[in-house]
Amino acid sequence: MAHELIAATNAVVVLDVGLPGIVWGWIITMNMWAKSIGTGIIFIAFYLLKKYPEQIGFIRLPSVIISIVFIHIFLFFTVIDLHQMFRFWHIFFHPHMSSMITIGAWLATGFVGIILGMAYFLYMKKDEAMYDKLLAYGVVLAVPVTLYTAGLMAQSTARELWQMPTESIQMMLAAFLAGSATMILVGGNKFSDEIKKDLALILGFSALSAFIMYMLELVFGPMKAEEVIATLEFVKGGEYTFMFWLGQIIAFLIPMALVCKSIKDKSYYLLKIAAVSALVGLWITKHVWLVIPQLLNMS
Amino acid sequence: MQLGFLVDLRLCMGCKGCEIACKVENEVPLSTWRLRVKYVDVGSFPETKRTFTPLRCNHCANAPCERICPVSALHYIENGIVNIDKERCIGCAGCIMACPYGAIYIDPITQTADKCTYCAHRIASAMMPSCVVACPVEANIFGDLDDPMSNISKYIQEHQGNVQVRKPEKGTDPHHYYVGGGNVTLNPLASFRAEGHSLFNNLTHLPVGGHH
Repeated sequence: MAHELIAATNAVVVLDVGLPGIVWGWIITMNMWAKSIGTGIIFIAFYLLKKYPEQIGFIRLPSVIISIVFIHIFLFFTVIDLHQMFRFWHIFFHPHMSSMITIGAWLATGFVGIILGMAYFLYMKKDEAMYDKLLAYGVVLAVPVTLYTAGLMAQSTARELWQMPTESIQMMLAAFLAGSATMILVGGNKFSDEIKKDLALILGFSALSAFIMYMLELVFGPMKAEEVIATLEFVKGGEYTFMFWLGQIIAFLIPMALVCKSIKDKSYYLLKIAAVSALVGLWITKHVWLVIPQLLNMS
Repeated sequence: MQLGFLVDLRLCMGCKGCEIACKVENEVPLSTWRLRVKYVDVGSFPETKRTFTPLRCNHCANAPCERICPVSALHYIENGIVNIDKERCIGCAGCIMACPYGAIYIDPITQTADKCTYCAHRIASAMMPSCVVACPVEANIFGDLDDPMSNISKYIQEHQGNVQVRKPEKGTDPHHYYVGGGNVTLNPLASFRAEGHSLFNNLTHLPVGGHH
């Protein structure tokens, strides 16, 4: 282990350049957070429209609008993070298909096409059948759009903390969490108790599952590699400890508690607070997990 | 042809001639390095020793930076060098995230990724990389790994059992070898690093450039 080695050799780096700093910062956090909402709302809309087709028709328009807005926020932050943002078109004209960045860009473009089509048929043509048909394709494409960032993190081989398939599961859970939270806020009081309970359960179980996974990473992650031990020290008494636990509490623990209380009391008000808490906490949680592996010196 | 590098750490005396030669040859901007020499002090007084480790791109046969680059700006050339096309690079920094050796940086002037290319432009003109030429003790050995009669191949053969690569567990198959290296010299986690402090001055963070 790193510390044993240091103690044994008493080795100190006395001359070297500093760390490269955080290369993927809050802009990439915004990217992941907005994508979770943009695809998550499509998953939840599909589920509700299949299960409650008679009661839930009014969510079609807000769902697709939210998806369009947040996917474009995701794309905006993706592009502005590039140091040469005006060369973004190179991804399409000089694509390297082994890169998850390329694959993600192509998938996201296809997904944008589908959700724009859904909006067109619903708003311009008043064709709900076509909307629903496109929604099914949208769900199929939303899965890899949600997952490609996990693939990118897995390709970031220098960062041992990010492993496949753990990150892919976290991405899906983030989408379900963000999608259900957004739908709770969108629906107002128009949803029936049954639908509210469904949304509360999706939110609660997503939060519970994501929390368990983070805790397992915290406990068992150090058994994977020396780099993971050193990385997790930043959240185990290190400079990101407060932010990490703040994220876990706001994103997962508070929503879980409020979901239980809201189901028990049939309080939609508490569910809305849980939704806001989950969305805010998700940003913090994602940010910490994105940043800490970058604090480790590679050389 | 598979070009490779070998540094005999037993010979290196930390003069940083290679660092400067690289800077001059490749016009590497201030605060950025394609090649640098890390000093690590080992032991407690009076039993102390200073080690020197030149660090550069490893030109891996299974390069994560090449794989993650979305536009093939990082690409192999036929002699095994992982080269970079700065005109094509979009500055996504994926390569920086993927490289386990911290060998890639964003050039603050061009706002594109950059790294050691084994002086590919010099090799194209049948010249040795500038760091090889500058080394006063011939600690840098460069040549064709596919040719058993090349200096580097012979050196590797002669020093069987004492030839190392950095982070072999990553499976990147580096084409950059060390002789006389050890955990302290090759494993960044094996030594304590006081952030911001160095032997000669108070270095600050390496700027990544752009809007970050």
